[in-house]
Amino acid sequence: MRIKRKTLQHLGIHTVLILTLIAVAFPIYYAFTMATHTHQDAYAFPPILTPGNQLIPNILEAWKRVDMGVVLTNSLIIAVLVSIGKIVFSILAAFAFTHFKFRGSWFLFPLCMVTQMMPLPIRVIPLYQTMANMGWLNTYRALTIPYLASTTGIILFRQFYMTVPEELADAARVDGATPMQYLRSILIPLSWTNIAALLVIEFVYMWNEYLWPNIVTTASDMRVAQMGLRMLYTSERGAAEWNIIMAGTLVIMLPPLIVLILFRKQFAQGIAMQTTK
Amino acid sequence: MDRFPKHRFLPYGLILPSLTVIVVFLIIPFGQAIYQSFFRVSPFGRQLRYVGWRNFVEMFRSPEYLSSFQNTLIFSVLVIGIGLTIALIIAVLTTQKIRGAGFYQVAFIWTYAMSPIIAGVMWSLIFDPSIGILTHAIATVTGYRINYFTDTVAAFILVTVASVWVMLGYNICFFVAGLQNVPHELKEAAAIDGATPLQTFWVVTFPMLSPTTAFLIFVNTVYAFFQSFGLIDVVTQGGPNRTTEFLIYKIYRDGFGRMQEGQAAAQSVVLFILVAIVGAFQIYTSTRKSVYNR
Amino acid sequence: MHQGKRVMILTFVLVTLCVQGLALAQTTTVEFWHSMTGSRLTVLNNVVEQFNAINPAQQINPVLIGTYEEGLARFMAAYPVNQEPGIVQIYEVGTQSMHDSGMIIPAYQIPERLGENWDFGQYVAPIVRYYSKDGNLWSWPFASSSAMLYYNADHLRQAGLDPNKPPTTWQEMYEMGLQLIEAGVVTHAMSTGWPDWMFETQLAMHDQNFANMGNGREGYPTEVAWPNEFTDDLMEIWAQMAKDNVWIYGGAEYNANGAFNSGEITFLMQSTSSLDGVLNTVGDAFEVRTTFLPRVSDEYPRGNVLIGGNSLYVSNRVTDEELAVIFEFFKFLSDPDIGTYWHKNTGYFPATNAGMQALMNEGWFTQSPNHLTAFLQILSGKSEGTAAAGMRLGPFVQAREWVRDAMEKIARGEDQRAALEYSAQQINQLLADYNEFLD
Repeated sequence: MRIKRKTLQHLGIHTVLILTLIAVAFPIYYAFTMATHTHQDAYAFPPILTPGNQLIPNILEAWKRVDMGVVLTNSLIIAVLVSIGKIVFSILAAFAFTHFKFRGSWFLFPLCMVTQMMPLPIRVIPLYQTMANMGWLNTYRALTIPYLASTTGIILFRQFYMTVPEELADAARVDGATPMQYLRSILIPLSWTNIAALLVIEFVYMWNEYLWPNIVTTASDMRVAQMGLRMLYTSERGAAEWNIIMAGTLVIMLPPLIVLILFRKQFAQGIAMQTTK
Repeated sequence: MDRFPKHRFLPYGLILPSLTVIVVFLIIPFGQAIYQSFFRVSPFGRQLRYVGWRNFVEMFRSPEYLSSFQNTLIFSVLVIGIGLTIALIIAVLTTQKIRGAGFYQVAFIWTYAMSPIIAGVMWSLIFDPSIGILTHAIATVTGYRINYFTDTVAAFILVTVASVWVMLGYNICFFVAGLQNVPHELKEAAAIDGATPLQTFWVVTFPMLSPTTAFLIFVNTVYAFFQSFGLIDVVTQGGPNRTTEFLIYKIYRDGFGRMQEGQAAAQSVVLFILVAIVGAFQIYTSTRKSVYNR
Repeated sequence: MHQGKRVMILTFVLVTLCVQGLALAQTTTVEFWHSMTGSRLTVLNNVVEQFNAINPAQQINPVLIGTYEEGLARFMAAYPVNQEPGIVQIYEVGTQSMHDSGMIIPAYQIPERLGENWDFGQYVAPIVRYYSKDGNLWSWPFASSSAMLYYNADHLRQAGLDPNKPPTTWQEMYEMGLQLIEAGVVTHAMSTGWPDWMFETQLAMHDQNFANMGNGREGYPTEVAWPNEFTDDLMEIWAQMAKDNVWIYGGAEYNANGAFNSGEITFLMQSTSSLDGVLNTVGDAFEVRTTFLPRVSDEYPRGNVLIGGNSLYVSNRVTDEELAVIFEFFKFLSDPDIGTYWHKNTGYFPATNAGMQALMNEGWFTQSPNHLTAFLQILSGKSEGTAAAGMRLGPFVQAREWVRDAMEKIARGEDQRAALEYSAQQINQLLADYNEFLD
């Protein structure tokens, strides 16, 4: 009797979860079917919800219209550069805040946290002028360097380094290792999970950045993926070539999805670490 | 704490890279924004005229600004309220002892990789007034054709739904992690005391989750305030009738399209104060809770 | 003799090498920012490719910069930091700002600076009037359009209406709309792209100025000329149409095209530049026809439709070499062949009289009467007066947004007079702010 009730309960849970999952996945599926049809079929009523065979031609067409090669390459470059840069900068700062006692740290630590409060969008107007004065418009510098300070990263590594037993550092010191040697050979090898988690977070974040790149780039060869997608969307919206728009969308959403799926375990572990204070 | 006492200058060197970026690209530009908020720039940027508090005074007198402020708050509350509720329910269900729990946890994660623009593109197709599948469905059932180009409510629903959707993976992920950190002993103790599962959840689990909840409220606020920009720019451009012209979108339009940099700078300052309040709240909650969490 | 020949050959080879070497060394590329989206993008790229193929030393690099509004804002932001392109395509709304910006060479000065001559009389008169200042062209005519009425002839037949008699007044539009809805053909009959531009166009069509100071053509305007009796007449019937579901608001730019293309609505007011896009998308699904825009009534004088679209501006920082390329490119665009290609594939007017003539000679308009509508419409209107010439406003971008705001409010059933009054106040404030900085 009791077992039966539990099975029923589980059945209920599964039903709710599966229905929600279908609802959440539907936009992607709909986008996918759209991307596989001709223009006429995309317009058909009632809508055709089974895939067609036009995916490749549509992707090629979208590719041609917005220079996908360029925007994908640019996004890849800045996403990788910023991810690596942020990881390095955060590790260094977190190392300083957890392994040293120094004058002014009471002030410097909150200062590093302040990035979270002043997201880039708040500063776009003066920052644009700064970039213009430095002659950085339309460069990778403008697309990467302002992003390099990371509150998320510093917190993530600090949280973890605080849990590393002090004996490790003591032992290293006794062995005559310098702090940097200790960092390189002991601390970093322990941090791979966090590094992978931050990589996912920052890669996805940078890949999806739009406002700032849109402001600092005018040259067509400096555009990023989201700008390309927006351009494709605005361009074809009048004619409503949804099949082409969606083909482009599929291509642009793929890279961060791949990174997320590859590192999903580390990502989840990193998040778990972040929530344990 | 001090594990390498002999290296007195090294820590400064270690934080220097982050600090440089923060000072040069954050503190200084923000100072400039404050300075600029007391000026007006001529249409072609050649002249700067000191106007005192005029930008702020006019801003708070402008019905458009006030409604933008109000709509941003409503939007944020909806995104946070609806988004976190759905995420929490799913997270609780996937952390039950059921078959395939791990599968579900992974299956819900992926919307995290979607950008606001992608969410906008996909949902605007579903809501499309002429060929949208949802538009058809609603028209068939009720006879009413929703049109987000004209209907302010429809546009608001569209951007809210797309935002909740795109944040869902992230929110679930954090709730799952938070739920897994709640010690089983506590829940079992409550169960032994005769509490129903729902009571256990409200009395034991939910309070234990509050740092996670506070963190997610902050992240979702930042999303609603800033990241939603791409979604708005693609789908509604602030319309219809400026209903979705949220604060950040207004700053961008006033500062770049409408060439009113001084006014936009004043808005940036106010927006910063707003975010700082939410951020302070989050830091307060998480530090307070961490005391008995460890 | 023999010697002489040798020297000559040698000289010839040397000169040829030099010229080629020079050409190779001096490939001048000029960036060209534009906002040609959708089907027009491909057409524009084809035109540029043809130009680039002529002379490898003179190249144009087309860059889609975003919407018109973005193009204008970006040019204004890029110029002070030396990031502007040689050529920028600006919509008619940006005319006054560009003139006041101090960032451009007026078009009429381009041949002068290169020591050449160019006959500006060859361009179609209404376009020249629109973009001229004190009788001189300040920007190069390129893709001009005007608004017209597109309609679904099949719908009219289904509702028992005569497809040869589309509405000529708003009253007729309203009545036909009701009949179409009653007959169950559509749920909404009419929509429009660029609602703000449609409002401006209606003013001009009835010879009404948009702003004071001779529509901004005799000095910097200080206030708009509406709301007035005319706008009351116009907006009352629009408000009525909105209330009875005849008019459905269709977004700021081209969103309404989707509703028309899918047979959702019968009438679409849109730029002529959408013609080819619409024809290609609709295909054989139904019969697309075009006609003049409806009028309020003949109690008001006849004016003319407004010129829309865009023209090309040149940065005043280009070098003489770059300017030479730009001038070559502009001459190329003015070629009747290019003009007719451009027109046939986009629906924009060909900019020159010669282009017009070529189209007529080849019988294009009997082949595709839909392409003729816009010409007939603009030629049947009045050519004098400030209203038909088009208004000049410094803060036109923002002003237009306020007009759109009013249209949206009216479409949603708010009081038309109050909506227009509020927008007028806002625009007057903008005009005051703009003028404040001019001295």
